[in-house]
Amino acid sequence: MSTKDAMIEFRDVHKYYGDYHALRGITATIRPGEFFSLLGPSGCGKTTLLRTIAGFEGISSGAVLVDGRDMSGVPAHKRPTNMVFQSYAIFPHLSVEENVGFGLRKDPRSSADKARAVGEALEMVGLKGYCKRASHALSGGQRQRVALARALILKPKVLLLDEPLSALDKKMREQMQMELIKLQRQVGITFILVTHDQEEALVMSDRIAVMFEGEIAQLADPETLYRRPNSRKVPNFIGTMNFLPAKILQESARAVEVDVAGFGRVNVDAQQVMACASGESATVGFRPETLTVLFDPSAKSERESMATIEEVIYFGDMTYYDVRIDGTGTPVRISMSNVFGRQVLDIGARVRVGWSLGALVLFR
Amino acid sequence: MLKHNGAGKRQSEAVSGWLLISPTFLYAGLLLAAPLVAVLFYSLTLKDVGGFSLDNFWEVWTKPIYQKLMGRSLNVSLSVTAVTVLLAYPVAYFVSFHVHPSKKSLWLFLITIPFWTSYLIRVFLWKVILGYNGVINSGLMSIGLIDAPLQAINYNVQAMVLTLAHAYAPFAILPIFVSLEKIDRSLLEAGRDLGENKFLTFWRVTLPLSMPGVIAAVLIVFIPTVGDYVTPDLIGGGKLPMIADMIEVMMLKQNDRHMGSAIAVTAMVIVAIVSLIFLFLNKQFLRGTK
Repeated sequence: MSTKDAMIEFRDVHKYYGDYHALRGITATIRPGEFFSLLGPSGCGKTTLLRTIAGFEGISSGAVLVDGRDMSGVPAHKRPTNMVFQSYAIFPHLSVEENVGFGLRKDPRSSADKARAVGEALEMVGLKGYCKRASHALSGGQRQRVALARALILKPKVLLLDEPLSALDKKMREQMQMELIKLQRQVGITFILVTHDQEEALVMSDRIAVMFEGEIAQLADPETLYRRPNSRKVPNFIGTMNFLPAKILQESARAVEVDVAGFGRVNVDAQQVMACASGESATVGFRPETLTVLFDPSAKSERESMATIEEVIYFGDMTYYDVRIDGTGTPVRISMSNVFGRQVLDIGARVRVGWSLGALVLFR
Repeated sequence: MLKHNGAGKRQSEAVSGWLLISPTFLYAGLLLAAPLVAVLFYSLTLKDVGGFSLDNFWEVWTKPIYQKLMGRSLNVSLSVTAVTVLLAYPVAYFVSFHVHPSKKSLWLFLITIPFWTSYLIRVFLWKVILGYNGVINSGLMSIGLIDAPLQAINYNVQAMVLTLAHAYAPFAILPIFVSLEKIDRSLLEAGRDLGENKFLTFWRVTLPLSMPGVIAAVLIVFIPTVGDYVTPDLIGGGKLPMIADMIEVMMLKQNDRHMGSAIAVTAMVIVAIVSLIFLFLNKQFLRGTK
């Protein structure tokens, strides 16, 4: 990919802390204007990777390029990136407007123009009229907005967000997710978000890099990550996926025929076949919503099996059933939306389960 | 009914609250307030004659000897404060920012080592170092740099400042260290991220946020050194008395607690005013860094 299409480029980035290998050869490209997420469990190196862009973390080998320029030796204060910190890092001794205007000291504009810019930045994040507020009198959500305004006022090429929503309550978090998406579309700056919340990453991102133990496991758009995870680790982290052992019967260029315990013979499209390097025996994976409990006796499905309900988890709009399909050892999870009038089944009930074959993913 | 119960509960809470603070309250009353009131009372009454009068204060404020001693006291304590705090800040900064967290308590422990020896002994040690036949003079003479002992290094204000600055160093380092420790390190990263280099980040973030510690250090060093009289006696050789020496002379040698109290009250007021000036200057400074 030419550097024109890359706002950030990682070239085989390694990072050691003493003996600990925190980043293990990260190679990835982040496009201009993209909302990009680094997703992974704590300790996977996602924050470290973000901090190598900001310049707070050196790298042991490889290169980090921002807008085509190698950042090695460029100190944090000279990089064209700005960051929203996990703790927001609002200066407690400064008022809201002084916080937002902090980075404008070297700006050649007159102080009246700068004050106007501060006002506009605050308005953009929904804090109009908060200029004179003391920063310690702000709520978590307001601090977050001040941190955003303070970073965006400098018109960075890349905005780095280090788990910015993790300290907010659920309602506030969902609201801020929507606002961040809108804000990103409005300013058109590349946003890079670090998060351990899979839902947050799916909702907000154009593309997601899923990281485990210092490596990128899969880099793709949210739908591909969800529908066609390239290893069993990824769906374990993003949503829920059922796995059943499968035996490969025969393969062609277009499809692989497998025998799945409890379901019988299935043809899996070559596109849905993921080669895992781990050498594990073949497994098919399917999301809970690709299975259906056939409530209506006359309902038909591509393929069906009988099953016993072992667990019922009620969510209001949804119910999760953990069922054991006749002839299989492991229970699988089915999610059913609770449409009006549909009863919630009890543990122990016998049901017909139908499944859509096209959604199967084969890991081999 | 409910309301009544609530009021009763509140009342008993108030009573137990008073009971809880009463030991401290008594302690503060007997050991702080009562002596202060006594001193104030003496300063406003006349020796032998009795009766309330401002004559004691009139004498303290007009006689040149008192002005001179007060001036010297302020000079010494302000110099000590400046030297101590300016030297303490880098030490505190180093321990807070550059010492590995597991080694910090060891460093603080080392900083307090001077306290293991009594202040009197430390003063005598400075006398031994700075004296006419002291370590410095004999050392310089033995390597042939000087022929006769230097007079300039002992029995003067500078020697007093040096001794006091050494003695008060931990008192200045500790509060500054604590205020530096409290600074969220991501604030410093934010400063750098927003385009300021290390020095300007220090100037605009670290220093203003550590000012409470600096002010505490200034007051902790300044206030007791104004009233110090051991150091002028021993290092100054009695030739450079400060205001506390005068209070001692009045109280104990001349048996005039009324004049002694008037000097003490005057000194307290001046210390209070200077401290308020410090606080005001701090506020001005913080406004300047924004």
